[in-house]
Amino acid sequence: MTTTTSGTSAVWSAHGAGRGYLVRQGIVYGLLLLGAALVLIPFLWMISTSLKTEEQLFTGQVNFIPDPAVPGNYLEVWTKLNSIKPGMTFSRIIGNTLFITFLAMFGEILSASIVAYGFARFRWRGRNVLFAIMLSTVMIPGIITRVPAFLIWKQLGLLDTYDPMTWPSLFAWGPLYVFLMRQFYLTVPREIEEAAILDGANVAQIYWYVMLPLIRPILLAIAVLSFQGNWNNFQSPLIYLTTPEKYPLALAMRFFDQSLSKEAPQWQYMMAMATMMATPVLIIYFLAQKQFLDGINIGAVKG
Amino acid sequence: MDPGPIATYLPTLVRYAGVAIGLVVLMIIVYRVQIALGVNREAATGRALVVPWVVGFLIFNVFTIGASLYLSFTEYNLFKAPEWVGTANYEQLFSLSLAPLESPDQRSSDALPRRYDEIIRVQTASGGFVLGAKEEGFWRAIKLTLPYAFLSVPLGLAGALAVALLLNQHVRYLGFWRVLYYMPAILPAVATALLWRWIFSPNGLLNSAFAPLYALVNIPRPNWFFDPALAMPAFIIISLWGVFGANSVILLAGLKGIPAELYEAAAIDGAGEWSKFRHVTIPMLSPALFYNLVTSTIGALQVFEVAAFIQTPDSVGTFLNWLIYREAFDLRHMGLASAMAWIMLLIILALTALIFRSSEAWVFYQGAREEKA
Repeated sequence: MTTTTSGTSAVWSAHGAGRGYLVRQGIVYGLLLLGAALVLIPFLWMISTSLKTEEQLFTGQVNFIPDPAVPGNYLEVWTKLNSIKPGMTFSRIIGNTLFITFLAMFGEILSASIVAYGFARFRWRGRNVLFAIMLSTVMIPGIITRVPAFLIWKQLGLLDTYDPMTWPSLFAWGPLYVFLMRQFYLTVPREIEEAAILDGANVAQIYWYVMLPLIRPILLAIAVLSFQGNWNNFQSPLIYLTTPEKYPLALAMRFFDQSLSKEAPQWQYMMAMATMMATPVLIIYFLAQKQFLDGINIGAVKG
Repeated sequence: MDPGPIATYLPTLVRYAGVAIGLVVLMIIVYRVQIALGVNREAATGRALVVPWVVGFLIFNVFTIGASLYLSFTEYNLFKAPEWVGTANYEQLFSLSLAPLESPDQRSSDALPRRYDEIIRVQTASGGFVLGAKEEGFWRAIKLTLPYAFLSVPLGLAGALAVALLLNQHVRYLGFWRVLYYMPAILPAVATALLWRWIFSPNGLLNSAFAPLYALVNIPRPNWFFDPALAMPAFIIISLWGVFGANSVILLAGLKGIPAELYEAAAIDGAGEWSKFRHVTIPMLSPALFYNLVTSTIGALQVFEVAAFIQTPDSVGTFLNWLIYREAFDLRHMGLASAMAWIMLLIILALTALIFRSSEAWVFYQGAREEKA
């Protein structure tokens, strides 16, 4: 991390590295470790439960190490699900989730980067007013638009399809993404664009070959946010999808929860499913963590 | 009926491509029309580029919110055309009745008029009073959601600030800590809601870990989500786990941005640690705190997955967003649900306005010019 050496280091050197400093650092690390434990314990409990047998669940004792460990739960949960609904196979549900996630992600990133370009690099009357309106839409609770939107999709005959979750993303539905990208576009020097114009490039070419590569860090951060948001999306599939075979993971989990565990909650399977759902998001997060955390911070701090 | 994967994916894919092409054509038309009207090329291009958002805004925000306002004055169950009922939905929601209790043990239902149910009951030695409503579920949801936001947001922000200050103490492996603390926020809300239901369940992790403590003070194992007094703390713990680490990472970036000279100047003036915190850190951090306060409040008022996955008695754990969803899509009371959604929008707008108004007093913005110099 490069940021560790900046900022407050000068203040600390003034204090010197005396005994008080050591005690203080001890307290700091102690508290940080405590916080880390609070973050990790529920998470480890999820993984631990997913590897337990049913008898190990309700011993009434705290036991993080499953003995014996049964990784078979991860397969068993799908067998169980198939026994209720034969069509809800692992590949189908994952396929559904990926289909929705990637189409929405592609639409969000593409449209937000185009709209942000229009807001950041061109002067036109009405721009600031429109941008302010766009930012203020974050205050609109999603639920208020749900009933009329449901009626629109019903009119179009597109209920129980993936349309409501996918192509509206082409309309730059996330104001936050437009905002973050605009912040990045603003840092690109004008001369770069002017040089491209002199070379005879048109707007589409400048956008694609000049601007997009320059804002790559924020594109990656937004890709992580967008993947996470769409992969985890629960409310819209809940409203629009009625055929269980079409469910994404989040809804499959609810289906499983409601149909199987009414009498005795089979937490080992539920946690196996939760872990499966979390894994892709975590992998992408860990891979892109630096760009992701820096990217979201730019929006928050400069905003 | 399930038509199989290909027949499900393909039509959506085709319409997706169609909409994309349609948008590009629309952008070109908007550009051409402006040029024909004599608008300069820069302005014409800029406006053409924001066309996708404008179209989406008109359909998915302006139209839907307008339609929602109209529906809130109707009765509509999807099968018959919406029927105009004037302000009946709002009257129904705001039908409140305050009744005195003749004795402390009088039943609320006896004190209240017919079709009114208890929301708040205050008992005194000689009697007391009870507040009832026709839509008692709605008021219960408000009674749950607003205190939840008012408690979880400040607690989360204070915790986040504490962690951010710790992380700013020149710690090693800062990258590692950042990744770790942010992690709960990246996890699927659906998965974490289930996880917490399991942790708080009667035989779950929390009760097992505290079993010796319960034995010591001689109380039975609490059933968190079924006990009105315990559900709120449980919901707040869940929300804290989800956000405070994430907020601390954002606040940390704000802390890193405070110039060291400010602290040096304060030290020369004889400021102690507290004084530096109070007069340098907080003002310099206030824009980031403000941003966090606004986004967390809006988020807390709309909590959904937790309510969807954690089964509680209706009177204990029905958050507003979940109640509106059920009213609209389970009960098909589209009109009443729209009225509720409008009240929710007004609550959010009022709270945001309040935060914005108060920000003039406590948020410190460095002059933009000063920053560039």
